[in-house]
Amino acid sequence: MAKTILIVDDSTSLRQVVSIALQGAGYDVLEAVDGQDGLAKLDGRKIHLIISDVNMPNMDGLTFLREAKKLPAYKFTPVIMLTTESGEGKKQEGQQSGAKAWVVKPFKPEQMLAAVAKLILP
Amino acid sequence: MNLDDALKTFVIESRELLEQMEDALLHIEQAPDDPDTINAIFRAAHTIKGSAGLFGLDHIVRFTHAAESVLDRVRAGEVAVDGDLAALFLQVCDLLNTLIDGVSEGAEPDADTEAQAQRLIGQLNVYTQGEAGIPDHTAPAPAEARRDGPEPTLAEADHWHLSLRFGSDVFRNGMDPLSFIRYLNRLGRIAHIVTLTDALPVAAEMDPETCYLGFEIGFESGATKAEIESVFEFVAEDSVLHILPPRSKISDYIELIRSLPEQEMQLGEILVRCGTLTDKELQAGLDRQAHGDRHPPPPIGEVLIEQTVVHPPVVEAALEKQQKVKEQKRQEASFIRVDAQKLDKLINLVGELIISSAATNLIAERVNMDGLSEATSTMTRLVEEVRDSVLSLRMVQIGATFGRFQRVVHDVSKELGKDIRLEISGEETELDKTVVEKIGDPLTHLVRNSMDHGIEPADIRLARGKPAYGTLQLNAYHDAGNIVIEVSDDGGGLNRDKILAKALERGLIETNQVLSDREIYALIFEPGFSTADQVSNLSGRGVGMDVVRRNIQSLRGTVDVDSEPGVGTTIRIRLPLTLAIIDGFMVGVAGSSYVLPLDTVVECIELTASDRAMAGDGTYLNLRGEVLPYLRLRDFFDVHHSDIQRENVVVVQYAGRKAGLVVDDLLGEFQTVIKPLGKVFSLIKGIGGFTILGNGEVALILDVARLMQQVTSREDGRDAVRH
Repeated sequence: MAKTILIVDDSTSLRQVVSIALQGAGYDVLEAVDGQDGLAKLDGRKIHLIISDVNMPNMDGLTFLREAKKLPAYKFTPVIMLTTESGEGKKQEGQQSGAKAWVVKPFKPEQMLAAVAKLILP
Repeated sequence: MNLDDALKTFVIESRELLEQMEDALLHIEQAPDDPDTINAIFRAAHTIKGSAGLFGLDHIVRFTHAAESVLDRVRAGEVAVDGDLAALFLQVCDLLNTLIDGVSEGAEPDADTEAQAQRLIGQLNVYTQGEAGIPDHTAPAPAEARRDGPEPTLAEADHWHLSLRFGSDVFRNGMDPLSFIRYLNRLGRIAHIVTLTDALPVAAEMDPETCYLGFEIGFESGATKAEIESVFEFVAEDSVLHILPPRSKISDYIELIRSLPEQEMQLGEILVRCGTLTDKELQAGLDRQAHGDRHPPPPIGEVLIEQTVVHPPVVEAALEKQQKVKEQKRQEASFIRVDAQKLDKLINLVGELIISSAATNLIAERVNMDGLSEATSTMTRLVEEVRDSVLSLRMVQIGATFGRFQRVVHDVSKELGKDIRLEISGEETELDKTVVEKIGDPLTHLVRNSMDHGIEPADIRLARGKPAYGTLQLNAYHDAGNIVIEVSDDGGGLNRDKILAKALERGLIETNQVLSDREIYALIFEPGFSTADQVSNLSGRGVGMDVVRRNIQSLRGTVDVDSEPGVGTTIRIRLPLTLAIIDGFMVGVAGSSYVLPLDTVVECIELTASDRAMAGDGTYLNLRGEVLPYLRLRDFFDVHHSDIQRENVVVVQYAGRKAGLVVDDLLGEFQTVIKPLGKVFSLIKGIGGFTILGNGEVALILDVARLMQQVTSREDGRDAVRH
């Protein structure tokens, strides 16, 4: 069974492109528009990887991850944080919130696929 | 879904973000320190950049990057927002819009746009003090420089040697060491791999969540060291990683062996087993260094202190805030984008459904079958509900339209050199999407007109004892089945005499014509009318106000003006809530059926013989002590029917006035699908359209606004005479 990736980002087009790329590589993809939605989407589902933006309305990525990591089911779920080159401080904060992997925005779909492949297989 | 669709989404999303950015920019001058506003601007630039990168739109990435860098400094409090910066960002916004337009048309930016982008980037970079350009993440870091010169002790094997000791927390961080090793296969071939389990404690002490593993890998690859390192970038911080290029000095391998915690000899053997070193090379290396300094190997695998991730008070505060925005957010998240054409088709179908259900009702009444009429009445109720929900699908809030005027007012007041503030109310008022789309232009014209002609220059304002800044108000509200949009200013008001003089000069009225104030003010909507002494860039060319009225009339709306000299002017636009289907009230006049919009109907009364007698000149009624002007539709449409049994009066209300319409029969409520009249009939006063009844007959829909004008102009004329 294909592995499921949850992508949390407030940009619809970004989610779409990443979804297309990931689905093309054989993953199942769930989308959420912000942290709050991300928590709702988790909903006890088996999620193999979370990709999350940092700066989002309503609930930012760091809060989302801290909340998600509190849930036993997602304690060990790998997380890729979408960071900016200007966000070194955010990257550290992200690591403390449980995101050890990251992809720097703006990125190409291949870069995202490479990062995902390092963490999980389809 | 494919990439083209995603690109379309990108265009729509970017436009929305730019709109939000513009809003925030206009807002920021009033509240330069509001972090939410700055964040909104930053997020817009950031999101556009992120998505543009995915689509390979590098020119947009470059441009937004320059903007984002400045915003980053603004967020950090290093750069203060002033009028100049806001103005610069408005230009950035405009150019981004142009660039996005280019994307949606599939065109490359032209030289002009490029030049403008370069200019703006230059201006933006001033704020970042030369900190510019995107660090290139795709270029590989320079490969480890090969050591030149004759090195006698190079290993012979031509593969990389990777020595990995994963941090004890990798599993807890959701990382699987194996997946990284598998990923290595993308860069080359793993020639040998040896798993080190030395760090494993006895079973009783073993923590299943802790990683105790290490790997020694012989790896054949043409990749650079940076590329190989990047495979492990996510674990680099917690893990000990040694990558030795092919043919490294044997002393480097020995150094490696020393630095690792495992037993020296055992590691050496492993390296040999990996094919990295030959036995001879190992022995030679160890011998040579045997008498050198020996440092105790640093123990790795120290249990890292589990970091305290959660600070309860912070989380509580965050939760509380989330709770507040929850409702709003739920709404946002549950929006679906639908093609407007699909909605139009659905509305048309519902229109047909209403007509056919009326036909069914009629048949049910005729055959007089108990079960059937019950079923049809249930169906009618459901059809009504379907109609209401379908129509509400098209309803959008006027707020977005109003919001755009912040920019218009901002720009125009700069252009005119007047200080004008815009106040907006009633943004949540909903109206039909089609109406919203078409009302933008007329509103823009009215707003510009008020700013140009309505609001006086600051010196005159001060002389009149008003604040130096002018105020323009946009307001919207529902009123008896209509939506009313008001554009008001606190300017000098309309000059009644000047309008009259001009109207006479232009031959719009006769010298001896008696007009009420309202009628005089309404003259400004006549074609070719302009009172401005000075033709400005914006208005006063005598075109426009008549176009405004025509546009509004084409939406079945009306426009009127209230004005008080020295106090201000209010222009009021009334528009029907929906354009397609209404709740109608059917009446009969001389054997034909007519429909009134039910929202305009206040009550129905019988016109008794005594009323008729008391009416005297035949135009006024006494409605419980109130003077009610009335209009006999039979006379109005000039239809004659021999036997009048008795007459009824339908009291209608429009634009705050009441009038009576005298009809023969009251036929009751009726769902009306409005069909427009052909061009031939466009000049007929008092008819707004037609509808098809269940029995296939045609009923005309009365245009209450126009009928009302007939009644009230008669009344105003009287008022004017009396004055």
